[in-house]
Amino acid sequence: MVRYVIRRIAISIVLLIAVSMLIFIVLRALPGSPVTARLGTSQGVTQEMINRLTKSAGLDRPLASQYLTWISGILHGNLGTSYFTGQPVGSLIGAAIGPTLELTIIGVALSVVIAVPAAIASARRPGGWLDGIITAVSSAGMAFPPFVAGIVLIIVFSVQAHLLPARGYVPFLTNPVQNLRDMILPAISLAVGAAPLVLRYLRNELVTSLDSNYTRTAAGKGASETRVLLRHALPNAALPSLTMIGLITGYTLGGSVIVEYAFGFSGLGALSIQSAFNRDYAILQSVVLLISTLFILVSLAVDLMSWRLDPRTRGRHG
Amino acid sequence: MAEAVIAATPVRRPRRARLGIPPVSALLLLLIVVLCVCAPLVVSAGPDQIDPTHPFAAATGQHWLGTDEVGRDLLSRLLYGGRLSLMVCAGSVALAFVLGTVWGVAAAERGGWADEILMRGADIAMAIPQILFALVCVAAFGASLLSLTLITGILLTPSSARMARSVTIQETGLDYYSAGIAYGAGKIRLLSTEVLPNIFPALASQAAINAASAIILEASLSFVGLGVQPPQTSWGVLLQQGYGYLYNDPSYALSPAIMILLTVLCLNLVANRMSSPDARRAARRAARRAARGGRKVRK
Repeated sequence: MVRYVIRRIAISIVLLIAVSMLIFIVLRALPGSPVTARLGTSQGVTQEMINRLTKSAGLDRPLASQYLTWISGILHGNLGTSYFTGQPVGSLIGAAIGPTLELTIIGVALSVVIAVPAAIASARRPGGWLDGIITAVSSAGMAFPPFVAGIVLIIVFSVQAHLLPARGYVPFLTNPVQNLRDMILPAISLAVGAAPLVLRYLRNELVTSLDSNYTRTAAGKGASETRVLLRHALPNAALPSLTMIGLITGYTLGGSVIVEYAFGFSGLGALSIQSAFNRDYAILQSVVLLISTLFILVSLAVDLMSWRLDPRTRGRHG
Repeated sequence: MAEAVIAATPVRRPRRARLGIPPVSALLLLLIVVLCVCAPLVVSAGPDQIDPTHPFAAATGQHWLGTDEVGRDLLSRLLYGGRLSLMVCAGSVALAFVLGTVWGVAAAERGGWADEILMRGADIAMAIPQILFALVCVAAFGASLLSLTLITGILLTPSSARMARSVTIQETGLDYYSAGIAYGAGKIRLLSTEVLPNIFPALASQAAINAASAIILEASLSFVGLGVQPPQTSWGVLLQQGYGYLYNDPSYALSPAIMILLTVLCLNLVANRMSSPDARRAARRAARRAARGGRKVRK
């Protein structure tokens, strides 16, 4: 038992290290430093200025040494400074992480809240008219990239109906009501695409459960249809669906990057887009690694949780 | 019991399928592609033809979708923009198809350590949310049309590789493969002439899913200004420009949004249909025929 947990954690750590190397290598794959890329085209830039900036950003040292500086900095809680503004990356990320985390959590929660009742309604009569409608709506939902859903929602609820704000973010502690009003549209934009993923999986699991002998036994012993569905079939169907939570967290974290931009949130997504624009690798590499880490950790947590809760997943790992 | 009755009902293919008419999603997709490719025949106004006297014109007989902030015809920009979006999509999907198939088939066929390394490589690449990986690549390689296509293609490769690996493992476990090996057929020949036609439907279905992702990635990157660069136009660029004028003319941003949604929806539906067993059998037959007679594969 302990062996599986240790193995699973070790795999996640190796994955994290590999991801950090991949990000680092891709960013430095092309010759020419970000400094020349940034300053090279502007007027009145001397070679001396380029050299000075390159040196101050540590870009003149060998790659391996740069990588180790970055990683050991992370482990010591020091993410370095922006190449161009000199601001510490740690505090930039600290200021931006709030909106992203809040949006991701609300987005995932909303997806589950939408998906579970819909899956139950759908699985009650597989092939029925309600199942057909829900399947069709979820197919349409899956076609919505989150930011496109966001733009459509802005057009409907902000531009036409003037109901909800189209842009901006107020921290929850400053103004809870305004904060939640700001969150509604972005969270829905994410859930439009994420909920169908959970819905489909849970529906299929439910249909399988309802077709099995133990639910037939329960029904035969006189349990009502609702009781069979909610007490007997749902717990068994919900456990495998836990893995989908890990999947939609990744989807939501990725989707929130562009959604944040569309709704004018100054979160991690907006920060990564801006640093990609400026080719400020010091910020970009840390932000991307951070978001990937969140994704890997959530997947790890979900795996361990379903392993703990669901004996069926233990067979292979022993 | 009710369930038993439902389960016993034989699955009847709809009449349209029995008559051999392609599904609506495929037809709609074809229509979108044809309209974009033949844009010069559909619209008379060029996508860059400005008319400063009529900015934000409403839809008229002359401008079906109205005009933008400098009086360019929006329908024309939508179709010409679609050309670029579809071009990036086609290029990247083709790249991912070729690279992913080689990657996946090699992993499946080699097995052991090579398989481990190749597939863990795919895991690593897929642990970074796609759009963030795309941002990293754009920051490193710049945002030209070519690099956008290459980046998108490379991002989609790991999922193709996974699919190719899993179906190849299934195929090479079958008797005909061992029989071929026993008769002394070369592995490369066996894989390319026997296995490849059999796994083609699964790969094509994955390619359709990839195409949907490619459309979304292009639109996302162009929307934030890191993809197709104006004055070139794509659906993502139009979204970005329309987004700037949401309060002047909501339909400006809505039309590229609808095109993206329709294309992605149709691609998803086509992928679903292709991955159903019935369709796979039919596609496999077609591929076999093509391999024997040298005729073109009907999709």
